[in-house]
Order: sequence, then C-alpha cells, then structure tokens
Amino acid sequence: MRRMNSPFTLVFLIALVIALAVVGSLLKGPAGEAEEPNVAQEISPSVTFTLGPLEVTSTVISTWTMMLLLGAGAYVAGHNLKLRPGPVQNLLEWIVEGIENLIRTMVGVEDTTIFLPFVGTLAFFIGSANLIGLIPGLRSPTPDINTPLALALSVFFSVPYFGIRTCGMWGYLKHYVEPIFIMLPIEIASEIARTFSLTFRLFGNILGEEIIISILFIVMPLFVPVPMMLFSIFTGLLQAYVFTLLTCVYIGGAVKAHK
Amino acid sequence: MDWNNLPWDKIFVVLTVLVSGPGVIVGIVVPAVGQMLVAMSGLKAIARQPEAGDRINSIVLLSLAMLESLAIYVLAIILILIFANPMLKYVVNVE
Repeated sequence: MRRMNSPFTLVFLIALVIALAVVGSLLKGPAGEAEEPNVAQEISPSVTFTLGPLEVTSTVISTWTMMLLLGAGAYVAGHNLKLRPGPVQNLLEWIVEGIENLIRTMVGVEDTTIFLPFVGTLAFFIGSANLIGLIPGLRSPTPDINTPLALALSVFFSVPYFGIRTCGMWGYLKHYVEPIFIMLPIEIASEIARTFSLTFRLFGNILGEEIIISILFIVMPLFVPVPMMLFSIFTGLLQAYVFTLLTCVYIGGAVKAHK
Repeated sequence: MDWNNLPWDKIFVVLTVLVSGPGVIVGIVVPAVGQMLVAMSGLKAIARQPEAGDRINSIVLLSLAMLESLAIYVLAIILILIFANPMLKYVVNVE
C-alpha cells in the first residue's frame, strides 16, 4: 500500500472539503437572497411530507437512512467473520470489547450476554446519530427532542426489565424499600428525574453544537465552521460514551440491588 | 410617565436578551468550577495510586457528565427564552 504523506494528499483533502461545501450548498437549494438565514430554521426539523395525520419530518428520514446504513454495514461486516480479522473487523471488535468492558465494570457482572445487545445498540445508534449530521444534506436526529426522549424512555423501561430478569420480581421490587420504606418516593422521583436528565443532556449538547455551527455558517460560510465541525465529532462520540456509561450505571443499580 | 403607552413588547425582548447573557455566564462558570475540582482530585488520585486508574477514570467521567448537565439545563432555558418564549404572546397581544 502506498504511503499517504505525499503533497497530493493535502491537495486531495482541500479539494474534498471544497467539493463537500459545493455539494452541500447545491443540496440546500439556491442560497436565499429572498429569505434571510435564520438560526431557528437551520436547526429545527422541517416537515418533509405528510402521511395522513402523520407528519414525516427530516428527523425521521435521516433516522431511517441511518438505520439502513447501519443494517447494511452490519451485514457486510458480519456475514463473513474471519479468525484473523481484517481492519474493519478489528475496529468493530475493539469497539464491542470496549462496550463489554464498560458493562463488566459498571454493572458488575461477569456474563454480559443479556446486556450487550441493548447497551451496544444504544452506543452505536447514538454515535452514528451524532455523526450523520456531517454528511451534507442529512441532519442528525438528536437535536430533535423526540429522539433523545425515546432513547431515555427505552432506558427507563429496560432498567426494570433487567432488574426483574436477574433478581426476580420480588428482589427487584425490594430495592425500592431497601434500607427503610421512606426511600420509596425518593427512588421513584429519581427514576423519573434521571430520564429527563438523560434526555436533556444529549439534546442540549448536540443542539448547542448545531447552533454554534449554524451561526458560524451564517457569518462566514466557507472555512470557518470546519474546526467546530471537527470538534463536534469529538463531542458526539463523547456524548454517546456518556449515555452508554449512565445506562450501565442505572442498570447496575437495579441488577446489584439485592446482593 | 405614561406606563400604558410604553412599547412593552420591545422592552420584554430587550430584557430577555439582557438577562440571557449573565445567565449564560453564571450557568457556565459555576459548573466549570465544579468540573475543575472533579478533574483536579481525579488527577491527584491517579497520581497517588496509578493502578486504580481505570476505576477512577470512569467515576470522574460520570461526575463530569452529571456536572455538564447543569450547564446544559441553563443552555436549554436560555434557548427557550430567546427562540421560543412561551410568555411572549401575552406581551405582544396587550395592545
């Protein structure tokens, strides 16, 4: 394989950035002299078409695009696994082993078989949902509050599921009243509050990034938003990690309850 | 002074913006100080006992996420105040 440190690489990268900017401006439609650029319009999801009483927003479209890409990628990466992995399989194995290690330390169980599908799906979904906004023409689904709320609600319902599955119904219900029965309302309130905390953490972080990028985009459209977009890759992956970590902590609170 | 004929909608918007700036400052500086304390004590603990680094690392990240959400709450409130203020319709409909 040729080494990639020739000066052509730099020229190629600059040409790629300019091509992405041109494609993005073409996909956005003719730049509006008529309509003024508006931050609230840039970040809010727009209704693409209506399906009876249902309004299909751009969030739904980018989520389904992302699901198609993830499913196709999982099929391509997973339909012939080798004993000596190639680069793609190596990367995926590294990520999955990282998630397994996270579950092992935070949940505190040795066998991660029943937790890995849910937690790993959350990590992959949020990570790619934060990153898909970098593709011109698509918009990441997480700055719409419905997506983080749905994810946080799935965490909210999965915690009793895993608790009951590992400790049994009685063992799970007992941890609400564990030291003394007066803890019951506090436990219930904290379960509801942490759902909203999960929602607003993901929503606010990604929305803040998007607002800063679109303000820079309105002020100086060509090169100035690029460092902020690079930083948004880091923030998106960090938020995916934090969401996964907190999910593991909450599941661990329910699973370790009766020990 | 004729209080009824003042442009209350414009005053409301100006006050909202004037309040949002200091609100952002307070809401970012206070969690930043908290995050500084967490990172500082985490570093000290890892320097004292490097073999416990993994465990300390995850706890530090957890606390940082908790503190980060405070700043995010302020951001959400300020965004609602500026872009989607629910009280604005009462003020604008006065006259």
